[in-house]
Amino acid sequence: MRVLEPWLAEPLGELVRESSARLALVMTSSGQVVGQHGFTRSLDVMAAAALGAGILATTGELARLVGSDADFGAVVHQGAQQGVWLAGFDTPRGRWVALVVFGRNSTVGLVRMFFQRFAARVREVAPMPMPDREVLAEGFERELDASLRALFGGG
Amino acid sequence: MNPERWQRLLEDVTAIDGVRGAIVVTAEDGLVVHEAAVEGLETGDVAALASVVVRRAEAIATASGDSEVRLCTLSAEKGIVIAAQGEHGLWLVAVTEPDVELGRLRLMLGDLAPELG
Repeated sequence: MRVLEPWLAEPLGELVRESSARLALVMTSSGQVVGQHGFTRSLDVMAAAALGAGILATTGELARLVGSDADFGAVVHQGAQQGVWLAGFDTPRGRWVALVVFGRNSTVGLVRMFFQRFAARVREVAPMPMPDREVLAEGFERELDASLRALFGGG
Repeated sequence: MNPERWQRLLEDVTAIDGVRGAIVVTAEDGLVVHEAAVEGLETGDVAALASVVVRRAEAIATASGDSEVRLCTLSAEKGIVIAAQGEHGLWLVAVTEPDVELGRLRLMLGDLAPELG
């Protein structure tokens, strides 16, 4: 498991452990990854994050079209061997998205239950956002590298 | 089965003294299909966890060469959870106080669960 900020490790670890998730991804609603479990290739994470954020944005718009005030909350894709749980949740850092892939040793209900606990725990432990800083070109690449190292390890 | 009939069935279970809630659960995905419960009982959580217990019990039964699981009873200090197998992967789950009339409840669940589906 890799997280961008240490405080996320405990709630994400509990979600993965208790729901028997195969893969998990936590990202901002714009698709920036803040934590992951089970992915081994950065390319897969980036693709999954972009697709997940896109699916949630699409269903949110669909909800608006059919007259719902809020979005659908969660989207579940269920296959023969594995399922995908995708849901947004509010944090002090804004709206985040969790994507959980689970196999036949887990259930939608179990993932739903531990996702709710995860979201509550994140709200509890997430520090308030840092004031906006100016992003400078010379620092951008260094910060991006640091984020990728935190999420995937390596030098 | 229609929701009204399910509701009547669940109300038969909750009419027994000490029963805090009755839930129709899908074992495959651990979700609540129908429920009748007292306020404060987290039926979604009960359904999710009951489905895990049922699936584990089924795995044990298979591994030990037994036939299918019909009834699972989980006794704890502050309450009991009983799950009875219905049709089409549905389970009838009751959550009770520890001093419930367990014999009567087990018989009732065994009779009613096959009516699910």
